[in-house]
Amino acid sequence: MSRGLRSLKQDTDRAKSDSTAGVRAGGVSKQRVLVVDDDVELCQLLSQYLAEEGFVVESVHSGLKGVERALSGEHSIVVLDVMLPDLKGFEVLRRIRAHSRIPVMMLTARGDDQDRILGLEMGADDYLPKPFNSRELSARIEAVLRRSQPDATAIRPGVGERVCLEDIELDKGARLALRAGEPLDLTAVEFDLLETFLRSAGSVLSREEMVRAVLGREFSPFDRSMDTHVSNLRKKLGMRPDGTERIKGVRGIGYLYVFSQR
Amino acid sequence: MSSLFFKIFLWFWLGIVVLSAALITSAALIRSRSADDERWREKYQLPLDLRSQHEADILERSGVPATQKYIGSLEQHDPMQNYLLDESEREVLGRPVPEKVAKLLPQVRQSAPATPVYFNHERIMAERVIASSGRSYTFFMTFPPRPYLPHSLVQFLFEDVGTEGIVRLIVVVGTGAIFCLWLARHITGPIGKLRVAAREIASQHLDARVDKSVTARRDELAELGRDFDRMAERIDALVSAQRRLLADVSHELRSPLTRLNLALGLARQRANPEVFEHLDRIERETDRLNKLIGQLLSLARIESGVDLQQKKVFDLGVLVQEVASDGDYEARGRNCSVKFDQSFECSVEGAPEMVRGAVENVVRNAVRHTAEGTSVDVAIECRPNDHGSHAVIQVRDHGTGVPDSQLAELFVPFYRVVDGIRKDPDGAGLGLAIAERAFRLHGGSVTAANAEGGGLVVTLELPVLESDDQAVRV
Repeated sequence: MSRGLRSLKQDTDRAKSDSTAGVRAGGVSKQRVLVVDDDVELCQLLSQYLAEEGFVVESVHSGLKGVERALSGEHSIVVLDVMLPDLKGFEVLRRIRAHSRIPVMMLTARGDDQDRILGLEMGADDYLPKPFNSRELSARIEAVLRRSQPDATAIRPGVGERVCLEDIELDKGARLALRAGEPLDLTAVEFDLLETFLRSAGSVLSREEMVRAVLGREFSPFDRSMDTHVSNLRKKLGMRPDGTERIKGVRGIGYLYVFSQR
Repeated sequence: MSSLFFKIFLWFWLGIVVLSAALITSAALIRSRSADDERWREKYQLPLDLRSQHEADILERSGVPATQKYIGSLEQHDPMQNYLLDESEREVLGRPVPEKVAKLLPQVRQSAPATPVYFNHERIMAERVIASSGRSYTFFMTFPPRPYLPHSLVQFLFEDVGTEGIVRLIVVVGTGAIFCLWLARHITGPIGKLRVAAREIASQHLDARVDKSVTARRDELAELGRDFDRMAERIDALVSAQRRLLADVSHELRSPLTRLNLALGLARQRANPEVFEHLDRIERETDRLNKLIGQLLSLARIESGVDLQQKKVFDLGVLVQEVASDGDYEARGRNCSVKFDQSFECSVEGAPEMVRGAVENVVRNAVRHTAEGTSVDVAIECRPNDHGSHAVIQVRDHGTGVPDSQLAELFVPFYRVVDGIRKDPDGAGLGLAIAERAFRLHGGSVTAANAEGGGLVVTLELPVLESDDQAVRV
């Protein structure tokens, strides 16, 4: 290993010890958050704020370090800024997604819908436009973490470990989705979305219901992120064996997972 | 391409054809004259010889009366007049000699005897005769003046213009057409290429340049092409600088606001209950600032036209319906509703997110201004007009409306209606301006009017694609 990389690791270690110093005395099972943002002051404020909310924060200020730390497996969630000095946020996301399904929340530019859509399409779990409300941030981080935890996402009580419909099979314990026995590469949101769809296959789900069930937050009108998630899921699922669309849009209402009863 | 190309081609070609036709005709006219002269000479050469000799002989042998009788009998049938002049330049019959004849006399008297002298133009022929007595006479025959135009058009065309002239004309028409086509292409070709480049630039492809074949020429069009390229480079540089500035400024504005929000969150975590009220206030104001920055960025982004670089075809009907149903959700909070009148398929081309944002701004604006307990009515229809079909979206609220004099100002950034009735604490005054610019950039328009029975109607129009284009669900 090169010297450069080693010193880089020392840097991140130092950064980690800096940012975790304040809450080291806290509980055992605190969630570790990796913040990738080049704004050092912002990172400090974030660390303080999230520490108060019960998270342990590590912050890095460059995309390359961000990729390296995100793939270390030490964190529960990555908060990733789109604008970074070296690598673009999307490139960081792409590199993380190439190896890991760790939840990623993108911080995008307000007024820039293209960035939001691109981020979600590339597999981000959620996004928040900058500048954001601090309470909104912690609420979203919690929501993303809640649904990425195995078995913590039961939509209705008393459901089994496996959900099957036609050629699609979900293993909730392992959070694994299979199509005709082949594993599908789904993000946490897409997994939950698919589960929600399968459970109500054949009936129309409103976008409101979907936001509540899948994103775990109140529906806010004019927010189209659910549509992007649905379109991603649709692409990954592909057509049904008989060549028809699995998920149909219902104008002005929501979506329908097509289920043909024999 | 069309009109200038054809104008140049037609005018030059017509010019060449007319000019050569004139040349051929005039040449034929000249030829027809000399042929006429030739015929005249051939026809009267023998009478001239015979008559001159004869008259002189009669005069010497039988005297004036016999001559008079002879001439009289001749002139009864002939178109010409005969004059015989003796050595003293006197007409032998004592008739007056026309001036034109007198003028020509010295010339004829110098000619050899028994040799005809022709004056084609004056239509006079003359000959000197030496009578048997040895005396010398000068005989003139004067004819009616030569005609300026040929007697018969058919004869003129077939004999004087002839096959040769017609072949010439055909050759000129053919080669002239080829030459003029080349000329018209040579002039309008570069203009067409300039137009292509200009249109590319206008449709946001700022890296478009004029075709090399234009700038490589050595004329004014090449200079125009090079100037155009310089202009395009400058615009390109300016626009990319503006975009960079926009990105930088937005980033710079966002960073302190984000930090401010976090600091506010921290303060809230540790604050006493009595400062909560003030913290709420700070939060509301920062939210407003956030919204304002968001809208400013949207406006700048729309005006830069970045989002229109990749156009998509999408169904406007679905989009409006979705926005209306979201608007309805938001309106419920105010005990209002958004009613949507049946949707139909309506394909348009552009940046769907930009159009969605525009419609959303108009609908939310209406939701904010409609009176409590009333509805906002959203309708979409397709209307044909001069330039193909237009999708017309109407958003009507049941509020107080806007004074007629201020309707147009609604789309000016930060404009607030001044009578104070239409108070809008949440609106930054940019929503309608954003909508108007977004639609204008898509070739459409946004207008406002007061509805009958109160309330504002905002009408958004967008050109519709022909129905054979496939709509893509957004």
